[in-house]
Amino acid sequence: MNLTVVKNATCTFCGCVCDDIELHADGTRITETKGACILGQSWFKNHTAEHLYPDALIDGKEATVDEAVEAAADILHAAHLPVVYGLSNTTCEAQREAVHLAEVVGGVIDSHTSL
Amino acid sequence: MKNRADLIIYWGGNPAECHPRHFTKYTIMQKGRFIPNGRKGRTMVLVDIRETPSAKAADVFLQVRPGKDFEVLTALRAVVKGQRVDAAAVADTGLSLDQLTDLANRMKACRFGVLFFGMGLSMTRGKHMNSAAALTLAAELNAFTKFVAMPMRGHGNVTGADVIMRYTTAFPFGVNLSRGYPRFNPGEFSTIDLLVRGDNDATLVLGADPGATMPQPAIRHLSQTPTIVLDPKVTHTSRLAKVHITTAATGITAPGTVYRMDEIPLPLKPPLVGPYPTDEDVMRRIREAAERKAHIAA
Repeated sequence: MNLTVVKNATCTFCGCVCDDIELHADGTRITETKGACILGQSWFKNHTAEHLYPDALIDGKEATVDEAVEAAADILHAAHLPVVYGLSNTTCEAQREAVHLAEVVGGVIDSHTSL
Repeated sequence: MKNRADLIIYWGGNPAECHPRHFTKYTIMQKGRFIPNGRKGRTMVLVDIRETPSAKAADVFLQVRPGKDFEVLTALRAVVKGQRVDAAAVADTGLSLDQLTDLANRMKACRFGVLFFGMGLSMTRGKHMNSAAALTLAAELNAFTKFVAMPMRGHGNVTGADVIMRYTTAFPFGVNLSRGYPRFNPGEFSTIDLLVRGDNDATLVLGADPGATMPQPAIRHLSQTPTIVLDPKVTHTSRLAKVHITTAATGITAPGTVYRMDEIPLPLKPPLVGPYPTDEDVMRRIREAAERKAHIAA
């Protein structure tokens, strides 16, 4: 078992985005969260590196990522007004891709800010 | 803020429970360059409809009647400008004219004021109009002193979404690109309104779970039209979606950049390596596949 220690890790649970957390991980899960608040602790300990969920689902049935990507593109291409929504719990790099996708499919792009 | 703010106002938010380190890391408890005494050098005001645990930290707590925030903000703007305000009309908001006058005086007398507004302001009666009133109040106070307003962001990188959309489309949220150029109109192109009216015919959900949080009519429309979900877990929204793709968890198994609520970009340092692709990777693949289909159709 390999212990990884990450100093000054960044927490993305709330908008504070604290970047002074020390994380200890054993390769599968995060075992210690020094400096994190109670919300940050549960955030970090709630996710693991295990394969707990199917790679993808189409109509509730397991599928490959390739099949799901194709199905998603079909839906968005066929739609008159698709919406790309959310963008909170993700990276800026993915957000840029989301704007690009909305432009390509001629849709609306929106985040939690509008709530 | 840390170095200069001597008046800190939280409006419609409960940082003690929702942003536990906000006081100690960013605002009232910090010693700053021009606030050498830390907490003693700052005044904190809390405005809310109920006395939350954050009230314990406040010097002044003002309890507003639910749904009256817009009226309070508007009266406050008038008091700040020295206009005549009807005391009976103010009393209807749950506050007295004396309380508003005291707050207005504190705002005008401070050296640097900050107004943090939470979802108790931006998501209750008045919504966008409340946020606009808070921003206008802060702007007008700059005739007397230095004053800023900032939303208390709930979810991780929602600030990043504002920044990215601003520099790519010129608008921060609710941007309609269907005509090939960006159009912005909150209330018309905001997701919840589109869903409730049934205006859109497909939805891709990334880094959110509207199936757990949105009102019933919006959720019904998500389940009746094709929905695509990218999430590290199978969520409420995934269960009513046509397509779900599991992706790496931001900052835990996925690297990248996120924005703090004061618009400082920070790098992520994921401590684990997971089995799933990142949101960025999957979004790029969907976009490339959609481009191929558009190309064939043309």
